[in-house]
Amino acid sequence: MAKYTSMAYQSADEMVFGTAKYPVKYGRDFEVGGGLVYPELVPHPRPGSEETKKTLVREYEKMVNDVLERCVQLGFPGIQIELEHVYQMTRNPDWGGEIAAATKRLMDDYYQKYGLKSAIRATIADYRKPDEENMRDSDALKNILATFEASAAAGADNLSIESMGGKEITDYAIVRQDIKGVLFGIGVLGSRDVEFLWKKIVEIANKHGVTPGGDTDCSQANVAMFMAGGYLDKSVPHTFAAICRAIAAARTLVAYEQGAKGPTKDCGYEDPIIKAIAGIPISMEGKTCACAHSDLLGNLVAAVCDLWSNEAVEYHDMFGGTTAAVFTEILGYDVALMNTAVKMGKAKDLRDMMINSDKYRDTHGFILSPDNAYEIGKAIVSNSESYYSRARAAAIKAAELMRGDSKLLLSDFEKEVLESTYKALLSLPDKEEDFIAECIPVYQKQVKGFKPSNYGL
Amino acid sequence: MYFLDDYSGIFVRYDLKRERGEAKAVAVEDEALQQVIQCVVDGDTDNIGEVVRKALETKDPMEVINALVKGMNEVSRLWDEGVYYLPQAILSSDAMLEGIEICEEKMGKAMVKKGVIITHTAEGDIHDLGQKIVNALLRANGYEVIDLGKDVPVDEVVAAVKQYKPAMLTGTALMTTTMTAFERISKRLTREGISLPFVCGGGAVSEEYVTSFDLGIWGKDASQAPLMAADAVSGKDWRQLREKWNG
Repeated sequence: MAKYTSMAYQSADEMVFGTAKYPVKYGRDFEVGGGLVYPELVPHPRPGSEETKKTLVREYEKMVNDVLERCVQLGFPGIQIELEHVYQMTRNPDWGGEIAAATKRLMDDYYQKYGLKSAIRATIADYRKPDEENMRDSDALKNILATFEASAAAGADNLSIESMGGKEITDYAIVRQDIKGVLFGIGVLGSRDVEFLWKKIVEIANKHGVTPGGDTDCSQANVAMFMAGGYLDKSVPHTFAAICRAIAAARTLVAYEQGAKGPTKDCGYEDPIIKAIAGIPISMEGKTCACAHSDLLGNLVAAVCDLWSNEAVEYHDMFGGTTAAVFTEILGYDVALMNTAVKMGKAKDLRDMMINSDKYRDTHGFILSPDNAYEIGKAIVSNSESYYSRARAAAIKAAELMRGDSKLLLSDFEKEVLESTYKALLSLPDKEEDFIAECIPVYQKQVKGFKPSNYGL
Repeated sequence: MYFLDDYSGIFVRYDLKRERGEAKAVAVEDEALQQVIQCVVDGDTDNIGEVVRKALETKDPMEVINALVKGMNEVSRLWDEGVYYLPQAILSSDAMLEGIEICEEKMGKAMVKKGVIITHTAEGDIHDLGQKIVNALLRANGYEVIDLGKDVPVDEVVAAVKQYKPAMLTGTALMTTTMTAFERISKRLTREGISLPFVCGGGAVSEEYVTSFDLGIWGKDASQAPLMAADAVSGKDWRQLREKWNG
């Protein structure tokens, strides 16, 4: 499969929220990246509601109805709802299918009655265990694929996943600040797993005439980012986590090389780099996902988004209504402001305000600022000989950007980590085969259950 | 793109204002033991084997183990004071455990552990990084860890508790829809007359939820695990642990 060797945009400045080089249409009159931003609401069921299919389907019906009703109440033009599977929905394909069907019925109803544009993203849970089973031929994989089929057949418009390949290595490496292990886990193994998985997902999507959406390195790069945390945390250095993110971009890109069309998954913070390379629309989450987790780039990540998401909100009552309705309202107004800027010809001004709000707040915002994301994208497409070479190039570029900008302030400890990580990256072999040959014996010894055959090695 | 020169008033980098402590080497007179300590403090897994074997040429294995523990105590101090990050603590723990294994081989028996702790990640949940960190910290602090792994059915957890009779059980979960397994475990254990502290934590797991069922103690952070284990091993029951750590 061909790898990207050029950028979709001539410059970072071309990129702005709401518009993607290659917009995607699906669902009920729903277009992503065609000039306007839409909200993407992700409702999460209450604990206990997953006990039976009946109770879980009912929970989703209520949540979805609350979302659609609030959209109409406040005049929002359209919305995407993500059905992010709790494991019961993927382990039992008919559960996932039935919830997608119920969501579709409600969306069709609101479309017919009010003309509310809408779409369903079904994100299937990847519950394969890389260190315990054969990832390429396991019951979990069969169930995952069956659930993609069931969801697509029942009414999901967009199929997505947060794939786990390489996580067994990356978990080991992140908590040891081992950049070689992260490159191996995310850059090499993760990329190979995405390639394997997305061939199958795209086939299923095409068979059912639905859109293959996207993947995210949530299980690895987000782990690093969330462990890095805020200014008070001491789990993972922020500079190290930012470099993990750059590596993740090279991995997540593989889904689009296999035929995914986007929009990307909301928790893929690497998405601005993906958009710069592939030109597909992206979904992002920031300040309005504080209901699910905190980050240090709440405004900046909206700068080039096409869908604006809340990550996940558990269903409960608030003074302003249920959480699903309340977060729909917050997202809807965020999006209304962005679209007003588009209509007033001020989109780039608002984009630049978002960027300036966070670019130097932390390393993640810094490397995902569209100007820097674009440079990392260029490093990826200019080093496309192998999954490894481009992941390493992305990591080196991210480190160089952080080292080279005096406005990015770092503690002495962070500077030390950045320097040692950069040095380690430069010392690694140039060729993928040499790198893999070096890594396999090391990680087979150190990571219990690691099986190279899971990745075709 | 337009960029500001002055970001004051937009955000404050509080992390830059924090005081940093210093990594002090614990000084002992014996050079070989000093090297063992230093290897642990540095998290030097490449050289720990060599320095431990060298020390064992002239020292009793227990003496070397004491040096390993001394090094790890220094690491705990550095972590508590915010000088070290988690990766340093984990690497030091790796080094110490490798060193202990070599000493145990020489002794021909395993060193006495402080107590048995069972850890697991909830049924349906394969996100076990938090559990792995708990495992590493418990082992580094001298506990025998029975690691049941991830996505562990309720039946298996209950069976393991009966088999190993641990001082404490831990459960990790990322999602609220997987953490409900903790309550089922608690009910099963209680029904069978088994009482032990059951520390639950991770992701969206809340104190309110965990303290709503018997045995449950909410673990805010992995770093609390060894301290809670010490309480459990000392004979404190789940109610006493909950009173101390929660609320």
